[in-house]
Amino acid sequence: MVRFENVGMRYGLGPEVLRDISFHLRPGSFHFLTGPTGAGKSSLLKLLALSHRPSRGLVTLFNKEVSSLDREDLPAMRRKIGVVYQDFRLLDHLSALENVALPLKIAGAKNSQIYQHVAELLEWVGLGRQVDAKPPTLSGGEKQRVAIARAVINRPQLLIADEPTGSMDAEMGLRLMYLFQELNKIGTTVVVATHDLELIKRFGNPVMYLKDGMLTTRAQDDLPAQFSKDPA
Amino acid sequence: MIQFFGKSAELQLEKDASTRYLPVVIAAMIFLAALSIGGLFALSNAISDWSETLTDNLTVEIAFDPAADLDKKVTDAVALLSATPGVANARPIEQDETLQLLEPFLGKNAALGGLPIPRLIEVIIAEDSAIDLAALNEKLTEAVPGARLDIHRPWLDKMVLLGRSIQFLAAGIMLLIGCVTVIIVIFAVRTGLIMHSEVIQVLHLIGARDNYIAEQFQNYFSRLSFLGALPGLIVAIIVMFIFNFLVGSLEASMLPPLSVGIEGVIALLLLPILVALLTRYTVRRVVLKSLRRMM
Ligand SMILES: Nc1ncnc2c1ncn2[C@@H]1O[C@H](COP(=O)(O)OP(=O)(O)OP(=O)(O)O)[C@@H](O)[C@H]1O
Ligand SMILES: [Mg+2]
Repeated sequence: MVRFENVGMRYGLGPEVLRDISFHLRPGSFHFLTGPTGAGKSSLLKLLALSHRPSRGLVTLFNKEVSSLDREDLPAMRRKIGVVYQDFRLLDHLSALENVALPLKIAGAKNSQIYQHVAELLEWVGLGRQVDAKPPTLSGGEKQRVAIARAVINRPQLLIADEPTGSMDAEMGLRLMYLFQELNKIGTTVVVATHDLELIKRFGNPVMYLKDGMLTTRAQDDLPAQFSKDPA
Repeated sequence: MIQFFGKSAELQLEKDASTRYLPVVIAAMIFLAALSIGGLFALSNAISDWSETLTDNLTVEIAFDPAADLDKKVTDAVALLSATPGVANARPIEQDETLQLLEPFLGKNAALGGLPIPRLIEVIIAEDSAIDLAALNEKLTEAVPGARLDIHRPWLDKMVLLGRSIQFLAAGIMLLIGCVTVIIVIFAVRTGLIMHSEVIQVLHLIGARDNYIAEQFQNYFSRLSFLGALPGLIVAIIVMFIFNFLVGSLEASMLPPLSVGIEGVIALLLLPILVALLTRYTVRRVVLKSLRRMM
């Protein structure tokens, strides 16, 4: 499903923020990605989301090596990937409903098929009353839920979420994690980046630990209680 | 047409204040372009009119000579001309008529009797006949001393040359207008791309094809161009009508009536569509080029 081989990444001419990253995610797996702030989690997810290219190494998604793909093949691939961005990236002038419907619309679905489905999903994430609200009028947690709904609306094969529950209370956070789990059960490969060690412990999925641009895989009980006290 | 002028659904370009000036600029450009087109076609019609009347219609001038029998000379010349194949008609112009022709220049009550006024013969060439005017002129001068075929050729050549230069100038102006329009559109699109870069990025990342994004820009900008072009064209047409009316009302006008002809009308009506298409093409090029810089 996802394979990184000796991947390095830098922004422009800056230093490498990811170094020698190699890992393999099986289809249908569910991984957490954690590490201290600035470790490069979001950067790694950008490679997964096909928004940036690695500066070295090979990234393979859906059995295709990314740098070998034609530009015209990328949109189709991106449609198989759902992404929840750390900063949401909603379109401010569109309603919650339209934001969530966007991936379907871009993929060419008919309006009649779109809106019923979208309204149900928004209802499910607890935004039944805010379907017509524009993102600037929503709270942080509400925006985050719109972003999550947009990421999952077209049943992606790969779901990437960057701090998806950081802006909401624990209860709503759990509810959405269960949504991810449900999607995982029907075959979606999930990668969730989070600082929330409690959450990781609670779900017990495998953990990728990123520090200073280097990746290690760790068992649950090997995680530090706090990132700052991590000797590694 | 709906697709062509459709709204830019996600980009909401219509809410941009920065591109609202575009129709005004396009209107000005189209106004100028329409005037040049009008001038171009009116001129080319006028040139072909002149050449036609002037080549079908010649004058023979018999110099004033107090010692000679002018009437006999006129009769001889008319006889010779009428016998020439290709000449449809040769008609002496009476003294009164000549005076009338000169009236605008000399005034009504001038004492003309004593003036050395040449005798004129109007010669009408048959249609579709090839006549060697230079040879005819020679023959005429030989037979009737003092007679000269005025073939208007040098004057006509100069007029045609002048007309052609003005036509080149108009074409140059059109080209310039086209270039300026393209440049203005490029700047407007670049501004739009920068202002909407975040939305474009999001659309791009959730799997929108370049074409999907480019179309929203194309539709919006070609609509702006078209809507700007209409008032520009209408004002230009009004101005041309007024100009034509003023020309027509000049008394004893030297200018023939101006007309852009059917081709001119078609060219004018095509102008807004052409500018919309030009805008569409330019916008597409610019947007696709900028999108190609993204992964
Ligand atoms: N657009 C960018 N241009 C240049 N440098 C960047 C950019 N984005 C991130 N960086 C740098 O890359 C490094 C890793 O950043 P990244 O956002 O991946 O960290 P993170 O692990 O997601 O942090 P956090 O937990 O705070 O979200 C940081 O040093 C950051 O300064
Ligand atoms: Mg981050």
